[in-house]
Amino acid sequence: MSVLALRLAGPLQSWGASSRFTRRTTESAPTKSGVIGLLAAAAGIERGDDGALAPLAALRFGVRIDQPGTRIRDFHTAHHGVTGASMPLSERYYLADAVFVAAVEGDRTLLTSLDDALRSPVYPPYLGRRSCPPAGPVDLGLYEDAGLEDVLRNVPWQASAWYRRRHWTVPRTLTVLRETTADEPAVTADVLRDQPVSFDAAHRRHAPRTVLTDPVPTPMPAGGGGPCDAHDPFAALDALAALDILEG
Amino acid sequence: MNRIFLDVHALQTVPPSNLNRDDTGAPKTAVYGGVPRARVSSQAWKRAIRTCFRDEHLLDPAELGVRTKKIVELLADRIAGLDPSTEREDALRLADETVKAAGFKTEVPKRKADQAKKDGGPAPAPESKYLVFLSSRQLDGLARLALEGAADITAFLKTKENKARARELADTRHSVDIALFGRMVADVADINVDAAVQVAHALSVHRVDNESDYYTAVDDENTDEETGAGMIGTVDFNSATLYRYAALGVHQLAANLGEGLRDDEPRTEPVRRAVEAFVHAFVDSLPTGKINTFGHHTEPDAVVVKLRTTRPISCVAAFEDPVRSDGGGHLREAADRLAAYASDVERAYGNPETTLTWVLRVGPATQKLADLGTEAGTLGELTAAVGRAVAERLEKKPA
Repeated sequence: MSVLALRLAGPLQSWGASSRFTRRTTESAPTKSGVIGLLAAAAGIERGDDGALAPLAALRFGVRIDQPGTRIRDFHTAHHGVTGASMPLSERYYLADAVFVAAVEGDRTLLTSLDDALRSPVYPPYLGRRSCPPAGPVDLGLYEDAGLEDVLRNVPWQASAWYRRRHWTVPRTLTVLRETTADEPAVTADVLRDQPVSFDAAHRRHAPRTVLTDPVPTPMPAGGGGPCDAHDPFAALDALAALDILEG
Repeated sequence: MNRIFLDVHALQTVPPSNLNRDDTGAPKTAVYGGVPRARVSSQAWKRAIRTCFRDEHLLDPAELGVRTKKIVELLADRIAGLDPSTEREDALRLADETVKAAGFKTEVPKRKADQAKKDGGPAPAPESKYLVFLSSRQLDGLARLALEGAADITAFLKTKENKARARELADTRHSVDIALFGRMVADVADINVDAAVQVAHALSVHRVDNESDYYTAVDDENTDEETGAGMIGTVDFNSATLYRYAALGVHQLAANLGEGLRDDEPRTEPVRRAVEAFVHAFVDSLPTGKINTFGHHTEPDAVVVKLRTTRPISCVAAFEDPVRSDGGGHLREAADRLAAYASDVERAYGNPETTLTWVLRVGPATQKLADLGTEAGTLGELTAAVGRAVAERLEKKPA
């Protein structure tokens, strides 16, 4: 098995799992349908092409919450194009300031082609809603002969420099939300209806999916590579630690 | 596939203003980099762009679309325009049948029908259940089809062939604004158009806390004994240097526009015109929220346009660490940061051989951006250069 990792960061993201009407909510972390949709769009898979979507939807999915962000509410008005009359008001919720690492596990050939597609996409990626382009590139690397759990355990913490500065006690653990493996009992799992079946605009369909919540120890950046490592937010912390101000 | 993206970045300073309000009347905000920022929603700015297409005559009205539920009346007008001998009632019936054959559900709005009955007026025309976005070209095609079958419209549109023609007419030769911003029709999935452009919410590059202006208004007719104010109130506002960003999938736009609106021009011509109009309108447009209160008429201080084959890249992360105004104003530091970030991210992830960059800028504070690419002297020069390059790229066969 191989794993493709993505860094999902931007001023605004919105990952809806159940809302289609005037109250558009967001989950606290990227949904599988949202991330698979992003990959399918990059690969140029058209909305009604359920056959081409199926192998992507079959990838095992997990996401790690590196910086949870805050929810903001957007009040949205629309007016009739001709009469100017008000259309129904809607509320849209966004996650501001959030950073996630999403990962999909599956066949190497497929993941290689998706990795390439992210570098030169047919339809450019967005973070759950078209008005939310990612900040910087999303591709974070293809890990060959690796498992989903390992990658989500080892990809260095992606939180922004300001966030690390402000939270100068590094969180001990990060939350991982991942799909169960075939032989794993799902007794303690949650169910989320975000397993994509069809993105056809006429009958978008999602199946229920079991989601396990695991804490993983926060993996610290080892230095070098990656969009986040240009900053060294820990230099100051190390200095403080040397003075015995910081504990563990 | 030949992939062509256009990234448009702009830095724009707005003085005290309230471009885009939330339900409390305060300017919209977001949190980024851990501090509050001014925000103008992408929807608000997209509307300003669409309005700009029309007001600035950037595109021929025939290239634009109209978004309405009153699609039946609109089509009836076209039918009557083509054949003035058509009675209003017949035109409405022809239009209704044709609109339905094209795949849109229509119904007579109940409240208006009840009102008409009460007043003894004529029954209102059917309306579509959703806002329908059709181009002038599409309306003309549907009107001609309706007249062709005017003798017995029901039987005419019952044939598979004519029904397919109606659908095709509604699904080809989209207007430029539909091709750019998309069309969602909830019950006709096969004529949805996916937007070719992503417009990000505009965010201030610095921390912004909304302010409140307390005002009193004097009643001119008050006598000297009546000393109080005529009314009092507050208006919320902020001022900001905004980072604005949009990504346009040029190949997607070309696919949405199809063969173009006229047969006597090169295939790339509609795309070139649409791209030029988009770049012009993105730069030049401004949401008009409370514009008469604040008169916030500004233009961007700097615009950077990149034409590329690799993925679009927003530079918003350059401002995640909020700009501080220690040196007076936010613009200089914002421009310096954008220049540094854009070249950094380009070096790491871009393709210098296939990426073209243009810069349009005003004043010495934006000097550092000049090194990013070819400087354009005017907005007209910028859009023309981008349009030319787009047309060249489109004509090139995919590698």
